[in-house]
This record gives sequence, structure tokens and C-alpha cells, in this order.
Amino acid sequence: MSQDIATIRVTRYRPEKDGKPYFQDYKVPYRKDMVVLDALNYIKANLDGTLTYRWSCRMGVCGSCGANVDGVPKLTCASFLHEFKGRTIKVEPLTHFPVIKDLVVNMDDFMHKLVEIKPWIIREKESPPEEGEYRQSAEELERYDQFSSCINCMLCYSACPVYGLNEKFLGPAATALAYRYIEDSRDQGKAVRFPIVHEIEGVWECTLVGECSVVCPKGVDPMLAIQKTKILGATNALKSLVMPRGGGK
Amino acid sequence: MSKEKPFPEYRRKLGPGWWLANSHFTQYMIREWTSFFVAVFSLIYIYELSLFASGARADALNLLKNPGVIAFNVLALLFTLYHAFTWFYLIGKVQPIKMGKTTSKPWQALLVNIVLLLIVSFAVIEILVLR
Repeated sequence: MSQDIATIRVTRYRPEKDGKPYFQDYKVPYRKDMVVLDALNYIKANLDGTLTYRWSCRMGVCGSCGANVDGVPKLTCASFLHEFKGRTIKVEPLTHFPVIKDLVVNMDDFMHKLVEIKPWIIREKESPPEEGEYRQSAEELERYDQFSSCINCMLCYSACPVYGLNEKFLGPAATALAYRYIEDSRDQGKAVRFPIVHEIEGVWECTLVGECSVVCPKGVDPMLAIQKTKILGATNALKSLVMPRGGGK
Repeated sequence: MSKEKPFPEYRRKLGPGWWLANSHFTQYMIREWTSFFVAVFSLIYIYELSLFASGARADALNLLKNPGVIAFNVLALLFTLYHAFTWFYLIGKVQPIKMGKTTSKPWQALLVNIVLLLIVSFAVIEILVLR
């Protein structure tokens, strides 16, 4: 199989030495089936062992290898080198997150937000196991199915300028996950989650840029989840006004 | 264990030109700018109404005929139409309607809303202006 040479321009940041990040170019031979992550692994193994980045599954499932490839948040394991033929491929850490080293960003804020929305099924009262599982129809599953495909890769946060301007914003993936549970027929935790998603820095901070849904590698539509959550919240508030005795439940 | 980080993290800030980074951001910002044109249009409109109300009809008509005001109104109209059309499209994305086994597409919502906009606009002109 013939090999071409790709120029990979990678952000380097070594906090113990560098005051700020800079770019470093590497020449990487590649075949048609190689992706940007393969190029990073090639650099690490053959050219520069100090290059630091996250990766794990290599097949678009774990969500670890997200980076800005050519200015767009992408999974490096799903970005083929031949698509950038003839161009220098710029690989930068995900935007809006603090950089720890090279392509590795600090995920703490995102992790806190994930926990904050309580991503598990909340029941008012748990049924005993002998009563069996909480059953659900195909239609009920369909209401939230796509939102359960999120792999927490944070590409949507990197694409979101609202999060870039205000890191307190709950953001796309956490809201999509919250909506996934709000719409789950087995869940009874609306009263717990609504105050979280509807606080000032929650869904109402979103101004419908929509780029989160464009970059999602799993076909999740966080923009839709955010707007649906807004609609649910507004409907709920209206019901509470019209029917103060339990209308907003 | 100390929580202090051994080395500083590098924090990047969104620069003023972030919206030029990709075409979606630019389209979004153009939609956001509409508010400026609508606000200025509203101020001019209120001023014109105040001129009419105070009896300065000639001044109000002169202002309406001012080439600068006409040019601004045309620009404001273009921005408002852009806002309306992109918003109609987004309605289709946010509130798709299930029709049997298929779901409506955003462009269908755009089309329906444009037709509704035309009907309402003609009705308003017919009732309030031409009568």
C-alpha cells in the first residue's frame, strides 16, 4: 500500500517549561486507513515520546480522544488523515477547557456538571426486586433514546461559544443527559432535576447557536434537548400558575 | 494530599473574533445583530409617532422620506427577514411534528411559516392600511 506524508501541527504545552502553548510540526507517513489518532501514536512512538494526549478505545466509543482537528472539535480516532490531503493538519486541545499538558485538558468542570444533573433513575419509592424490572414500551424508549448515546467526549462544549463565554453554563451534554432522564418513563425525579436545569446558568443561558449538535459524533442533538427542556419548564411554570395545587407536576 | 496543582494550567479566552471561526457562528451572529436594527427601527418609529402626536406632521413625513431613514429601514427589513427565516428553520429543528411514521423536516417548517407570515402580513395590511 502506498504511503503519503502528512504534516501534523500539534499544540505543545509543557507547564513546567512553557509559559504558553506553541505549535510543533511533525511529518508522519500514512496510509488511507489511518486516522489522526494513529498519527499522534506514531509521533509518540517514533518521533517525540513527550507528546501527551488522551485516548483509549480507538473506535469512537470511549470519547477520550477529542481534540480540535483543523479548528473543528472531533474525535481524533474518527478523523481520517487522507481527508486533509495536501494541508497541514492542526491538532489543538479542546477549546474552552484549561490545558493541563499538550492536548490534555482539565475535565473537572464537565464531570461536576454530569454529577450535578443526577444521571440515574430516581424513584419516589423503589419497588422490591421480586416485582421485576420497571417496564417500558418502545414508544417510551424512543422519547429519550438518542440522548442516551452521549459518550461524554465534550466536543459539544468545545463547540459552544456560550460555554466559552460563561463556564457556569450547564452546557449541551449535561442537559442532554438530564433530558434523557426527564423523558424516561421510569424516572420520577423531575422535581429534583428541574431546579437544576432551569436555574439561571441552566438551559436559559443557551442562545441557540446549534453547533453542539453539528459536532456530536454520535448523532445526539443536545440543542434539541435544551430547547425541549425549556418548553417543559415553561409549560410547567404556566401549569403552576393556572393550577397552583399540583398543576406543575 | 495537597489540592494545589503542581503546574499552572493554561486558560484560553474567547477572542472578539470568535464568531468568524466558522460559517455557523457567523450566521448565528448575524441573527443576533438583528436586535440592534430592530431596536433602532423601534426608536425611530416611536419618534415618528411622537411627531405625529404633537402635530408636527410635516416633520414626521420628512423624516419618513429621508434617504438615510429609508436605507436604514431596508437594511432593518433584510436583517429581520433573515432572522425570521433562520428562526422558522430552527422551529422545525426544535419542534419536529410526527406524521405517522415520518417526522417533519426543518425546511417544511420554514415553508409553512413563510406562508403563514405572508397571509398574516397581507391580512394586517388589508385590515389596517387599505381599509
